[in-house]
Amino acid sequence: MLLQLNNIFKWVNSGGQRIFLLKDINLEVEEGEFISVMGPSGSGKSTLLNVIGMLDNFDEGEYNFLHESVHTLKEKHRANLYKEYIGFVFQSYHLLDDLTVKENLEMPLLYKKFKGSERKAMVADMLDRFNIVGKKDLFPAQLSGGQQQLVGVARALIANPKLILADEPTGNLNSQQSEEIMGLFRKLNEEDGVTIIQVTHSEQNAAYGSRVINLLDGRQV
Amino acid sequence: MFKNYLKIAWRNLLRNKSFSVLNIVGLSIGLTVTALIIMWINFDVGIDQFHDKKDRIYEVYNQYPVDGEIWTWNSTPKIMAPTIKKDYPEVESVSRFNYDDTFLFSVEDKRMKSTGTIVDPDFLNIFSFPLVEGSIASALEGVNSIVITETFAKKLFGDKAAMGKIVKVDNADIFKVTGILKDLPNNTGFNFEFLMPWAYAHQRGWNNQHWGNNSIATYVLLKEGTDYTAFSKKIKNLRERYDKDAPETVTYLYPWSRYWLYSEFENGEEVGGRIILIRMFGIIAAIILLLACINFMNLSTARSEKRAKEVGIRKVVGARKGALIAQFLGESILISFIAAALALVLLLLVLPYFGELVQRPLSLDMTNTPFWITGVIVVLFTGVLAGSYPALYLSGFKPSAVLKGTFKKINSPITPRKVLVVLQFSVAIILITASIIVTQQLQKVQDRQSGYSKNNLIYSMVEGDVGKNYTLIKNELLASGVVESITKTSSPITEGWSNSWGYEWKGKDVDDKTTIQRFNADDAIAKTTGMEIIAGRDFDLGKYPTDSTAAIINESAAKLMNFEEPIGQVVRDNGVDWRIVGVVKDFILDSPFQKIDPMVIAGAKFAHNVIHIKFKKKAATSESLAQTEAVFRKYNPEYPFNYEFVDQKYAKKFNSEKRTAQLINLFTLLTIFISCLGLFGLASYMAESRIKEIGIRKVLGASVRSIATLLSKDFLKLVLIAIVLAVPVSWYFMSKWLEDFAYRITISWWTFALAGIAALAIALLTVSYQAIKAAIVNPVKSLRTE
Repeated sequence: MLLQLNNIFKWVNSGGQRIFLLKDINLEVEEGEFISVMGPSGSGKSTLLNVIGMLDNFDEGEYNFLHESVHTLKEKHRANLYKEYIGFVFQSYHLLDDLTVKENLEMPLLYKKFKGSERKAMVADMLDRFNIVGKKDLFPAQLSGGQQQLVGVARALIANPKLILADEPTGNLNSQQSEEIMGLFRKLNEEDGVTIIQVTHSEQNAAYGSRVINLLDGRQV
Repeated sequence: MFKNYLKIAWRNLLRNKSFSVLNIVGLSIGLTVTALIIMWINFDVGIDQFHDKKDRIYEVYNQYPVDGEIWTWNSTPKIMAPTIKKDYPEVESVSRFNYDDTFLFSVEDKRMKSTGTIVDPDFLNIFSFPLVEGSIASALEGVNSIVITETFAKKLFGDKAAMGKIVKVDNADIFKVTGILKDLPNNTGFNFEFLMPWAYAHQRGWNNQHWGNNSIATYVLLKEGTDYTAFSKKIKNLRERYDKDAPETVTYLYPWSRYWLYSEFENGEEVGGRIILIRMFGIIAAIILLLACINFMNLSTARSEKRAKEVGIRKVVGARKGALIAQFLGESILISFIAAALALVLLLLVLPYFGELVQRPLSLDMTNTPFWITGVIVVLFTGVLAGSYPALYLSGFKPSAVLKGTFKKINSPITPRKVLVVLQFSVAIILITASIIVTQQLQKVQDRQSGYSKNNLIYSMVEGDVGKNYTLIKNELLASGVVESITKTSSPITEGWSNSWGYEWKGKDVDDKTTIQRFNADDAIAKTTGMEIIAGRDFDLGKYPTDSTAAIINESAAKLMNFEEPIGQVVRDNGVDWRIVGVVKDFILDSPFQKIDPMVIAGAKFAHNVIHIKFKKKAATSESLAQTEAVFRKYNPEYPFNYEFVDQKYAKKFNSEKRTAQLINLFTLLTIFISCLGLFGLASYMAESRIKEIGIRKVLGASVRSIATLLSKDFLKLVLIAIVLAVPVSWYFMSKWLEDFAYRITISWWTFALAGIAALAIALLTVSYQAIKAAIVNPVKSLRTE
């Protein structure tokens, strides 16, 4: 088992009232799964993804990731954990505008203390694999949305994570670009065994996954 | 990693040109000012610290209680040095030092005046002024030996060897050059071109042995290992044994290495000296650098929305907080190094002017390692100081918050940024008021009536045959038609050379020890200088030969002596009875900043050193000078005719305060400039971040003016707070500063009002540009960005 959420609650206090963002979430994810999280706006999809990605805390419950109990870990350990095992893909790509494609891909490796030669090899490999060698010296603004997201996925993958968390990865893309990215996810999932959890609004995209989790007002339905 | 940071920092700089320029310009000004001040401090701290024996050198000071307060002064009797040497085995050597002596030197037909001094042979042993030629042990032996500097040797002898040559002094005495001094370094307080042995002073009869005649400096070199504290106690009561007139005068050895920075005394205690001014400007430099750093902090955090996304992404891909802090600090350090490069250029440009302003021969030695080390330390410090707060602030963003696009700053009522703006403007306002008050004070004193007429008035020292031929010179000048009047005095009218509390008059209180200025003049003093006679008459030797023992007193003296009818009263001084024939209105003899002391101008009986000449108004000054010079040449052919214009001399009394005013004005301008840079940048980011709000308001019907007002208001509020904070602080400090002057302005409320209005106006100008620019944008454009 890759990760397990038990009775996760997350809330904020607003005007004396407790508003639940996540309410009693229970989830087990096996390695190699491709899960789609669906639900209307404000149902807690992104919050759930952030909790799984350890970018956000929760207020109650247990979270085990690869047999580590995340809820008891210190910030630093938690950061090490997600750094090593999790890659993120965002709706608006979130590439650094001031860095070229190549430099954007290299950035996660810098923080993981890879040597210069290793970094070069890994970046070259990724460029090759995603067929963007010709774009390596361009800045994000010079790329189309689909290409930017391609770089985004490549960046998420570069350090060989076990889990990819994608928050509406095709939200800003047209249908053709969407299909390409989803196809890529499927391929990664099937051929490389990468576990994927994606948040999506689209039934079509959800169909690429093996399982769907529906959320409404912070609850599983 | 480092390369990556550098790359992104560099691209960031280029991408945000206005931000970079604001920061770099601000920081480079801050760094330049800091460098200038550090160089100044460094120079002053190093003055006369090169003497090998400096820790054993002491200068003899005296302390004496006057009116319950201890006065401290450093001139000593000529007998002091030999007495100390004789009585105290702890003393290795002593030297008298006759301050400045100017003599006429002639070598063949070359004649020139030069200023040096007369010292004991051990002088060269006490201080480290190396000889290029000659031996320290014997150079000042004998009566007619002279040691001259290399430069003076060149002036006298040209390229020929000077050692062993003959030079004639004052057209009378033959001296042999027994030593060539290496030119004095810049960093010494001494300033002499030659040294003569004390034996010569003795020969000329300048070596009177009275304990009451305090006129020279005495330096003492203690033997190694002497306990200073114990020795001070031993020497304290030296005068009890010798000085019959003032046996209670305390003899005090002042550690000489402290004289440059600290030798100002109040009630017997060191109270600072040059160090005070240096410290003050040191603080101002630090503040200006801090203000520049504050700009950086403000602008960086104001841009945080732009960089929040980057922080989020970096954290998501694995950056720890520490790595981000390192990155942001790296950026600020990069910026401060770029600023430093610019500062170096600025420094080279302004250093000569600054050196002139602070009267120090400052120069930049690029090969000087300490300079670079200090520089790098200051720049690193600046980078860290400026970058630390933004780094902590920016690196603290949570990726889950900033990456979802929901990240918006909340405008809390007190943000650090506002505090920083208030701080900046408080400093600016304090400096503006300081500028106004210093300028006002200077103006007031410059406008003060000097009490005599400075125009067309020159003075010349009595030298060579002038004394002998004075009557001839006087008559010929008066006959020439260009000279209105002439008088011989004890000192220039712009300087008081002598004073005493020993005057006696009828009805004087025995405890009265008021200091009275002692001045002498032979004839027509009021006529020549234009003093205003309010009772009695001027000296007139032609009509009243007894005027040689007459006296004219000033108004303050008349008040002090409290005669019903001053004319005809007698004042006794130096064993002579002076009969008062006139009272003049108070005039400024010494410092125009201080109150005017009572003064007795005694008649022709005593020695006179200075000739004052009043030219007729009608003649051209150059013509008058030429004719006067011809007369002097005729009767004193060996000497060049030297003279000073009294009005120029008088103007010099303001030099020090003028320089202070210029420095403060300069720093005020820089502070205002830096504060404006910051405000300008902040206003532009504020306008940018409120672009949507502005759009909505405009769609709902707001006018350009109402929006510009809305945007400016926030900043003006901060400036108002700054005014409230700054006024008491500047009032306190400026009152303190003014206390040093007896003749001073009273600080009035409108000074602060003016400073406040100036600050508001400057802030308004700075902000309104951005505000108006934001307000006239078409709302359709700004609303579409969402």
